[in-house]
Amino acid sequence: MSSDVGAVNGENHLGWYLYGVVAAAEATPKIETEGVAVDPAHEVELVAEPPLAGVASRVSLHEFDEATLSERLGDAAWLEQKIRAHEQVLERVLREVSVVPCRFCTVYRSESELRRFLSERGQPLLAALDRVRGQVEVGVKAFVDRERFVAGQAARNERIRELQTRAASMAEGRAYLERRRLEQLVSSEVERLRSSAGSEIHARLLARAGDGLPLALQATEVSGRDDEMIFHGAYLVEADESGFEAALGILASEYRDAGVDFELTGPWPPYNFVPAELRAQ
Amino acid sequence: MSSRDEHELKYQVTLVELVDRVLNKGVVLAGDITLSVADVDLVYVGLRVLLSSVSTLEEQRDREISAVGAQA
Repeated sequence: MSSDVGAVNGENHLGWYLYGVVAAAEATPKIETEGVAVDPAHEVELVAEPPLAGVASRVSLHEFDEATLSERLGDAAWLEQKIRAHEQVLERVLREVSVVPCRFCTVYRSESELRRFLSERGQPLLAALDRVRGQVEVGVKAFVDRERFVAGQAARNERIRELQTRAASMAEGRAYLERRRLEQLVSSEVERLRSSAGSEIHARLLARAGDGLPLALQATEVSGRDDEMIFHGAYLVEADESGFEAALGILASEYRDAGVDFELTGPWPPYNFVPAELRAQ
Repeated sequence: MSSRDEHELKYQVTLVELVDRVLNKGVVLAGDITLSVADVDLVYVGLRVLLSSVSTLEEQRDREISAVGAQA
């Protein structure tokens, strides 16, 4: 391979922001990405280096330079626009073809550098693409509504019924202690639910997916819900398949009485199902 | 909570979800310019988001800030 690295030439200090990698043969010009690039002045282009193609757009190297980047990263408005643009582009691509999504802010100084990368890492990139071909990522979250959980538990758990009755019949000061005891008991029951339901949910969803993995549970500030998250996972599913959603529906109806609600997110580019790092050949 | 706050919260949550994937997942390619772990910390500082999965980053982030301050 030629090493025409010094191609900084007449590009006016523009580099290439790489969103993801697709198969050159599948990448028709049908992908509608007008006006969604990280730099609105430059549209998204396909940089074909068969058998692969990079989904990329030109960016100012001044804006994305290593020296100034850390400053930009502290600018919430800048960040939000770029992060949303990154995702928007990949979502548009995902509607048409399979894609290996890149991490935020992967920038090449020149087109030749980008092309060199695509050809040098062709093998592992193709393998990564094969793994996600025709598939999308979906996210599943399960939350427990404590009130409904307690109501459901009270029907089965005598100890909970007993504490509820005692707390209700006592004077305020002593009832407080009983309520604390009840609260602790409920917490440990929720903990049990989290470990038992968590593994059951994962196993059953995994059976309907190409792949899947549990993700870290989100705190309520992050999930945006008052209910406690008891399960969080990501799954790789066929883009046009409904079996996964049906399986989730069945789980939801089974767990409803336990106070558990499910949330489905996506389709996402398969962020969780591409290798974190690619080895050179 | 006012409806405006609720709206803001929803908005934030979607962004958080996005940030979690776009920053922590996805293939890391040998770009000429890529984010380092310290950069990712800065992103969290910038967005002031809390991710349970990165609680350790919070401590790191404080160190990072003082380190950045020291360099400047």
